[in-house]
Amino acid sequence: MRPNTQHAYDHVAGIYFPIAAAVFVAVVIALGALLVLGARRRTPGRRREANGLEAVYAVLLAATVGVLVWVTFTAESPIDRLVPRPAVRIRVIAAQWSWTFEYANGARVHAVSTWAPPVAVLPAREEIQFDATSRDVIHGFWVPGLHYLRQVFPGHTTTFDLLFARPGRYQGACAVYCGELHSQMLFAIRAVSPPAFRRWLARHRRSR
Amino acid sequence: MSAAAPALRELPARGLASTDHKRIAINLGAVAFVFFVAGGVLALIMRAQLAADGGVVSENVYNQLFTMHGSTMVYLVVVPMALAAGLYLVPLQVGAAAVAAPRLALAGLWLLVSGGVTMWCGFLTSGGAAQASWWGFDPLSDLPHSPGSGMDLWLYGVVLVTVAQMLWAGCILGTVVRRRAPGMTLLRMPVFTWTMVVTCLMVLFAFPALLVALCLLWAQRHGGGVLAGNQGAVAYQQLFWFYAHPVVYVMFFPFLGMAAEVVATFSRRRFFGYPAFVVALLAFSGMSMTVWGHHMFTFGQVTNKYFSLTSTALVVPAGIEYFDFLGTLWRGAVRFTTPLLFALAFLVQFLVGGLTGVILASPPLDYGLNMSYFVVAHFHYTIFAGSAFALFAGIYFWFPKVTGAMLREGLGRVHFVLMVIGTNLTFFPMFILGADGMTRRIAVYPPGRGWQPLNELETAGAGLIALATMVFLVNVGISLRRRRPAGDDPWEGQTLEWATSSPPPRLNFATLPPIRSFAPLLDLREAAPAPPGLADGS
Repeated sequence: MRPNTQHAYDHVAGIYFPIAAAVFVAVVIALGALLVLGARRRTPGRRREANGLEAVYAVLLAATVGVLVWVTFTAESPIDRLVPRPAVRIRVIAAQWSWTFEYANGARVHAVSTWAPPVAVLPAREEIQFDATSRDVIHGFWVPGLHYLRQVFPGHTTTFDLLFARPGRYQGACAVYCGELHSQMLFAIRAVSPPAFRRWLARHRRSR
Repeated sequence: MSAAAPALRELPARGLASTDHKRIAINLGAVAFVFFVAGGVLALIMRAQLAADGGVVSENVYNQLFTMHGSTMVYLVVVPMALAAGLYLVPLQVGAAAVAAPRLALAGLWLLVSGGVTMWCGFLTSGGAAQASWWGFDPLSDLPHSPGSGMDLWLYGVVLVTVAQMLWAGCILGTVVRRRAPGMTLLRMPVFTWTMVVTCLMVLFAFPALLVALCLLWAQRHGGGVLAGNQGAVAYQQLFWFYAHPVVYVMFFPFLGMAAEVVATFSRRRFFGYPAFVVALLAFSGMSMTVWGHHMFTFGQVTNKYFSLTSTALVVPAGIEYFDFLGTLWRGAVRFTTPLLFALAFLVQFLVGGLTGVILASPPLDYGLNMSYFVVAHFHYTIFAGSAFALFAGIYFWFPKVTGAMLREGLGRVHFVLMVIGTNLTFFPMFILGADGMTRRIAVYPPGRGWQPLNELETAGAGLIALATMVFLVNVGISLRRRRPAGDDPWEGQTLEWATSSPPPRLNFATLPPIRSFAPLLDLREAAPAPPGLADGS
């Protein structure tokens, strides 16, 4: 499987979330045990510090940081990188409050603040390069199913690659608050097999 | 010192012009609490809207509500509350008779009131209050996208209160530097005072960036061309987050310090690992100035890995702080008072916020969760489930010192239980909704996603928080009306504020006990353990 955002998210989450849960449980158990012991005592024990232990612990923390950062960096690099020859390039234009998807052959999908946005069709299992920009304020191109958000700025084209590993329907939303109808600034993508995508594209040569 | 004209002394409102740091801090806390209730009412309206999935208010009004809720809580409630606690306690804890530059502190009180009222006046304008979120970020906040004077009033209000906050930070830091009692060396300052030192350093170093950002925004709105296009948008957020990440720790450290004093006192031990804790605080506050870019991971225009590294590295000082809390309880004799209960809930619940913070510091995870309800859950766990709980721990702990009367323990426990249930009901489901794709700052969510039941649950939780707050206010009312005198030192405190009367006299101390550590009253008790109750008079 080529690196993709879903895979990177699942990989990193599979390490981070269990560690976080384990740390939480460990602290709660330690706290609970200390409270049970402490509730029994009438007078406190003598003052005691544990500087050596604390230093060892700090080193362990730093080592944990090292592991976490290594996991993050190795997962991030491939998804930040642009592939040299994407299968498809598509232009995305965000505006208050609409999304426009422009294909190289002139096909166009335009979603204007609606709960049932028209569907942009894209190939599954192929690298797709997005060139996204905004007409007015900052918007956020977010596909929760891909675990991917990229913010979109006026006067600037931001380029990123995505890969839909599984065919199917993907909901999309503007994630960056952008004014009155932000809630309804939705889009939808259907990832289909590459041949089905080419057929769809040929049928939609002109804008609709 | 008290050179007020005799005529002024006769006025019932003379407390409003007092230069006594304790009076200023009490007024400040009261003002911040009024704004807390006001901001909470906005949150309740938002929760009603989300439980019903729309129909309570329009999208336009909803956008004003969340903008003003966030702005109120950050600018008018939590930061002022944190600094108010410092203004009250730091002079007492370092054995000073007064705060440094008290008139500046008083000016800050009036700037806060003016700024808050200015900001809220937006609701009276025809276009309504500001609607560009508490970030006020460009280009959404510029004139074409936010016409109307609500946005300008927000801008003026934030400038006024930010100046106020910098004045208080200067006063507190000045007190620490210039007004410490003989014997009070830097490494004998109480833990809370140290948390205030690093807080004030962050205020003084980071808050000017917000003033710069707001001045640029003002110029953009009233002349234009300053924050143009992509570069303007990115520049604003660089400046804003350079302020707004340290401000997160300004809204954390003082409350961490309160919890530390409470945990030490109610386990009858001096705070464990004091030097390491102080070093961790200093490192943490220094590093807080290096992590702002993690708010911009999804820009595609920021060096993500650098900011991911610095943000994740915060695990080290934060982990040391938790270690020291546990070490303080170790071999302690624990008394489960209301302040301790709130402090313990702070430790557990803040941990949820802190650990999810580590998760959000990893760009591959942040790409999937940024701007979702997961983030909303994360920061409410830090600021509300964390800091607000420690604040209540502090209020129950120091209320006897401030007023001379004890708060009722029974009502305090009711308050605590309602708060814990309400808080977790409100904020935990947000993690699930965010991971499921619910965007933050939406007035209505799309149909057919099945998000309504969890939203209804959250709204029920918010109702419990409101109920808990009412129980707290009833507790304050009853405790002030039917007073149970506190005496100088009701809890067997460890720091100097417990060595004076409750409330302390105008100049704080008649005499000071010898100061040989950061817990001078504990030293006295340990030196002469026999007769309890004699320790304070020596």
